[in-house]
Amino acid sequence: MDVISARRTATEAEAHRSGVRIAAKGLTRRFGRHTALDRLDLEIEPGEAFGLLGANGAGKTTFIRLLTGYLVPSAGDLTVDGLSPAREFKAVRQRIGFVAETLRLYPDLRVRSFLRFAAGARNLAGAPLRSAIDEALARFELVDLADRLIGHLSKGLQQRVSLAQAFLADPPLVIVDEPTIGLDPVQQEEVRAVLRGLRGRRTLVVCTHDLGEARDLTDRVAILYRGRLVALGPTSEVLGAGDALPLFRGDEGARR
Amino acid sequence: MRPLLALVRKEITVLFGSPMAYLSLTLVVLVTALIFFDHLRLYNQILFLYASSTLGGFETGTVPDYINLRDSVFFPVMDTLGITLIGVVPLVTMRVFAEERARGTDEFLVTTHLSAGQIVLAKFAVTYFFVALMMAASFVYPAMAIHQGGIGAENLLAIFLGLLLHAIALASIGLACSAFASSQLVAAVAGWAVGFVLWDFGWASPFLGQTANRFLDAISLHLRYGSFAEGIVSLANLAYFVGLALVAAAVARFSFDWRRVAG
Repeated sequence: MDVISARRTATEAEAHRSGVRIAAKGLTRRFGRHTALDRLDLEIEPGEAFGLLGANGAGKTTFIRLLTGYLVPSAGDLTVDGLSPAREFKAVRQRIGFVAETLRLYPDLRVRSFLRFAAGARNLAGAPLRSAIDEALARFELVDLADRLIGHLSKGLQQRVSLAQAFLADPPLVIVDEPTIGLDPVQQEEVRAVLRGLRGRRTLVVCTHDLGEARDLTDRVAILYRGRLVALGPTSEVLGAGDALPLFRGDEGARR
Repeated sequence: MRPLLALVRKEITVLFGSPMAYLSLTLVVLVTALIFFDHLRLYNQILFLYASSTLGGFETGTVPDYINLRDSVFFPVMDTLGITLIGVVPLVTMRVFAEERARGTDEFLVTTHLSAGQIVLAKFAVTYFFVALMMAASFVYPAMAIHQGGIGAENLLAIFLGLLLHAIALASIGLACSAFASSQLVAAVAGWAVGFVLWDFGWASPFLGQTANRFLDAISLHLRYGSFAEGIVSLANLAYFVGLALVAAAVARFSFDWRRVAG
């Protein structure tokens, strides 16, 4: 191996390691008598594309809300690079780019105004802010739509806007909640292509109940059922080519 | 500081990008004009009756002192305007926090560098600015009465300050309600309810003791506002309105922590 190749390999390895480490231990979240997440133990490595799967009500969104600091755990620990989102949320937020479900945007704002707000709210200003916005518009093919009201865009385009804001500050952790829900097949493929391009360069947490999407986008998956972890492992092993539906129904006998 | 300014800019853009802002402004101006001209019409009728009376009208000094623009038009207008604002201001504040939650954009906000305190500060500041704009627009007609009615310009500032503080107090109550409500309608109804209850506790006085009545008088919006409307600016009244705004901001700030725990 020559020096240049060795350096390139080292750089790629470094890039692969970029991202954040997420660790959950005994993570529990209750809403009154209902336990949404029950003693979850989980580790996500830097640079990993991780899928969180499960039927509706399995606890996926609760986990994401705990990760962003929107909720605090009832018991157990959750850390992002050793920092607690519940207590050190300011430091954790600096590492997060979050793409919520479609339509969780401001319909009365124009695309550029929204991106300006999102960048400013992430402490960007002046030339770096303008350059981040221009890059995001170009990267997500929104240049021609920059002056359109978000509310007038299709769901697919709105999801692109949502993705664009998540990458403005180049965060090491990108959390994507149901990225293609409500999108037509063409729009789904567009969004997946963007997410595919992120693999290995950041920690990517994708929350979905679409098995094809999980196979396509993730290295490892966890399947939740009523707040409990019923399967965890490499995507190819957990989902494989067979029927993964028993896992979605909480059938631990089907655990791989 | 940058995230705070970014949110202020966004709030202003959203506020003036929606028809609600212009509707509220128009509503306040129209309602004020209606109240003002109605009282002016009544005042003119009374004057006409005196002027055309068999006693000789104005020349004989038969118009009593209490029939004047200040007491017959200006004060009643300000009083009615105070109650009207209880109905209008919650329409402005109901969306401020509740809409973020209904759309799910509050989840987006918490992933930015904005702290809960900054979110509350930005939203309160922009709402106060808009309420001040509303009050300036609504003050046009009463100001005309001041000009014609012999109320000194020295009282003008006190009266406007009272109107502004009253509106800001109602806005603070509405914002605190919006911070806890998931629906705009619930936020508006809660704002109206708290506003009307705080306005005047006179109805409760027959049932309560002296100490309780004194306390209720101390927290009554009407008495504090009325004092400004008479041109009196007291430190106690200023402290009351500032305190009310601070308590409301603290309640709104607390709603963020409460939601993180309660969900």
